[in-house]
Amino acid sequence: MARKKSTRVLNNVRSYISKPANVITILFFIILLTTVCLPLLTLVRDSVVVHSGEIRDIGKPVGSFTMYHWATLLFEKLYNYSIITFWRPLLNSVMMAIVSCIVAVGFGGTVAWFITRSDIPGKKFLSTIFVFPYIMPSWSIAMFWENFFKNSNIVACYNQVGMLESFTGLCVPEWMLYGFFPCAMCLGIHYAPFAYLLIGGILRNMDANLEEAATVLKASRFKIIRKITLPIVMPALISTVLLVFSSSISSYTVPSFLNKNGSFPTISTTMRSLFNTASMQGQGFVVAIILLVFSVVILKLNDKFTGKRKSFTTVSGKSGQVSLVKLGKGRIPFTAVIMIISVFFAIVPLVSFALESLLEVPGDYSTISLYYWTTSNTLEDRVFGSSQGILRNPTIWAALGRSLLLSVIVALISGTFGILIGYAAARKRGSRLARWVSNMAFFPYLIPAMSFGAVYLSVAYTNTFSFLRGSLLLLIIVGGIKFLPFASKSGANSMMQLSGEIEEAALIMGVPWWKRMLKVLFPIQKASFISGYLLPFISCMRELSLFVLLATPGSIITVVLQDFEVNGLTQISNGINFLIIMIVLLVQLITNKLTGASIDKGIGG
Amino acid sequence: MPRIVLEHVTKCFDKFVAVDDLNLVIEDRDFITLLGPSGCGKTTTLRMIAGLETPTKGRITIGDTVVFDSEEGIDISPAKRDIGFLFQNYALWPHMTVYDNIAFGLENLKWPKKKIEERVKEMMAMLKIEQFEKRFPSELSGGQQQRVAIARTLAPKPRVLFMDEPLSNLDAKLRLEMRSELKRLHVDTDSTFVYVTHDQLEAMALATKICLMNKAVLQQYDPPLVVYNKPVNLFVADFVGNPTMNFINATGERKGFNDVFVHMLGKDLVFHSSETIDGDVSDLVIGIRPEFVKLGEGNFNGVVYTTLPSGMETTVKVKHGEDMVTSVVFGSVDFSHSLDMPFSIVSDNIIMFEKASGKRIAIGSLS
Repeated sequence: MARKKSTRVLNNVRSYISKPANVITILFFIILLTTVCLPLLTLVRDSVVVHSGEIRDIGKPVGSFTMYHWATLLFEKLYNYSIITFWRPLLNSVMMAIVSCIVAVGFGGTVAWFITRSDIPGKKFLSTIFVFPYIMPSWSIAMFWENFFKNSNIVACYNQVGMLESFTGLCVPEWMLYGFFPCAMCLGIHYAPFAYLLIGGILRNMDANLEEAATVLKASRFKIIRKITLPIVMPALISTVLLVFSSSISSYTVPSFLNKNGSFPTISTTMRSLFNTASMQGQGFVVAIILLVFSVVILKLNDKFTGKRKSFTTVSGKSGQVSLVKLGKGRIPFTAVIMIISVFFAIVPLVSFALESLLEVPGDYSTISLYYWTTSNTLEDRVFGSSQGILRNPTIWAALGRSLLLSVIVALISGTFGILIGYAAARKRGSRLARWVSNMAFFPYLIPAMSFGAVYLSVAYTNTFSFLRGSLLLLIIVGGIKFLPFASKSGANSMMQLSGEIEEAALIMGVPWWKRMLKVLFPIQKASFISGYLLPFISCMRELSLFVLLATPGSIITVVLQDFEVNGLTQISNGINFLIIMIVLLVQLITNKLTGASIDKGIGG
Repeated sequence: MPRIVLEHVTKCFDKFVAVDDLNLVIEDRDFITLLGPSGCGKTTTLRMIAGLETPTKGRITIGDTVVFDSEEGIDISPAKRDIGFLFQNYALWPHMTVYDNIAFGLENLKWPKKKIEERVKEMMAMLKIEQFEKRFPSELSGGQQQRVAIARTLAPKPRVLFMDEPLSNLDAKLRLEMRSELKRLHVDTDSTFVYVTHDQLEAMALATKICLMNKAVLQQYDPPLVVYNKPVNLFVADFVGNPTMNFINATGERKGFNDVFVHMLGKDLVFHSSETIDGDVSDLVIGIRPEFVKLGEGNFNGVVYTTLPSGMETTVKVKHGEDMVTSVVFGSVDFSHSLDMPFSIVSDNIIMFEKASGKRIAIGSLS
């Protein structure tokens, strides 16, 4: 009897394992458990134990339990410590996120409406350039803002002359250059393309008949937008607002570029400086956890708003025949305004980065030269490594090479993992384990980049994994997991579109699994699979917040860029930024031409 | 009262011509069906009359008002054309209740609240949807959604009602039911209906006049029975009628003004028409409706190929040499396969088509 039972169990196991989807599910369950869930536990642990730098303040040995970090950060009244280090930065971040939401959704949503619903000319051009700010590194708009508005009246920018002053002589006040206003604006503009892609997608898929039915019933244009279009896109709108909010609140790069006068500490810049202070690391972990909780709450809210009953997916046979709103007399002014704003934030920054790197004296356009690209003089002692001209600088080139290598490996890892997870999720639809796996694969999306960095920082501080500290391997793991959600989302979407029969037809003919993947499934969904590789590559290439806590000075290009920027060598930081954007745009363009893949295909929310 | 006139209306999508030089007069209180295979331009035509699509060329008049004229640059918005439009997918607003959906159009007309309420109640009673007043469209079945859509469209009492395949998303039984209700509605509402469909039975059953289109070109515009009995060309003859008309290749030779010697199905026959026969009679296609093929006796000898009983009537396919002849027999019969089956062709509604052009050149009898 017992033997019979054991053979049956064995046979069950054997048949379970013979299905590739099962093996993949189990494999990734284990991988994601160790790379996503366990590090979160070490993060929580790190917020309640004593670290080596903190022994003197706490008076307990390293590793012993303490609530000191939480208590001090949240409630210490002495010198208003907790207000200054936590509550005020938090308030700043929330305000900044709210305003940037309004800017992003207002700007992106308006352009999305014009492009999908009106007869505005130049749609193709507009929709191409409009996503540029999102492709560029997140600090690019901030950098451009500084290039444009910096002026000789402001000490914090070393009194350098910006574009506006040199062309018009106008000097803006300091609050327009550093602090709350520019941070919120730059984040808003950076995320406007994101809002545009999400809202535009809904508008494009929305059944045009719904609006036409209202037109026929004599509703005015304005009333249609107010009573029909807006309520229907509302779930997508809310979802966009929440995603932009959660990204903005934890944004690190923009406030770190536009807070040179120190007047506007945010929760993420505070976290960075807590981590950099040996006696306050524990508090850094506390901030990371709080930021993480923020994001999770926001994403739960998002799920609530986009739940089945609230989202209006409309399927129609004849939506292709969208009748466009005629702008009539308003056509020229509307077009002009939208074109000017879009070009200003999509193309002018590129020009400005190139130009700034060529000016020997900032703002003085008579001093254009290749000095900062070619000089072999040491320009500044404070930066890490070499500070020669960009083209001769071994630190820059080594970092660029490492960044490229890192991005390629990260893209390969997360792209392939994403496809496999998508495959398992589609084949094992309804299975609980498969749902766990795809939820875990999406989880890194919820974690703010800096908190995620902090998670792995705490892992690297454990004795077992100390070999990871400062290594490229650590960056690869962090990047591969952090960018997995994009890839697994696009992988799952494209797998869901394929009916199981396509694979089954090959299965019946005895084609092995790997061949089915390579010869049948991959070619059919080539474009969206490649998007799943492209997006992690681009994101990784321009990423700073995720790596800033983990990378050693001079290790990757974005870290080097920040080093030059904070030390006032703006010509070189502009030049590096220009290089990064060119590489990203070039890769995106080539991939798009060769395979038809593009990043907007991979963005699904 | 409105009379709709289309003059030289053309619509191009880039290089693709969707509707080509269409001329059409829709009289007041007509029930017109725009009929044709998918992609023939019927929906585009409807949307152009409604103002949802802008024609490339031409002129459209509704009543005394020119609503579109490409030369004078007139293009009146759909809101001002005083029309109703019923969409194929109903296009009910998902975020509004049934009541709000129906009331929306009346609010736009700035009716007083009391009157709106009365009218909505009246419409809901008429379409038997009172109990769904507070529900959202996603909580209704297809047929119920359809009724709400009709109520919404009719509430403001439009003088012209446009319908774009409104029944195609319903199941077969419900479709038949709604069909008769729509025809009744046409009588009750006293307005002009323009109806798009690809279902020829639906078109036959509903319309006072059928406008049959193919590949962007108007083929025939006549009452249903005229289209059925006197199709102008092979396409119309083939498209209308179920089972389809028999088309038999033949050669001919002119015998006089009204008669042609015809060689078909291996026999020499005479085709007689009461009117003068014009055109080239050497290469012909003879069109015979299945109900004109009488089985059991006659001078043609065929073999039963297959029998398809449907209860009330039975379709029998008979093989005659290389040709296949379809016949419809009233009642249920079941012939065994390969049975020898003599048949005759009895009617003075046999149609002669010119083979090269596909045009009808005569209607008459064979002997």
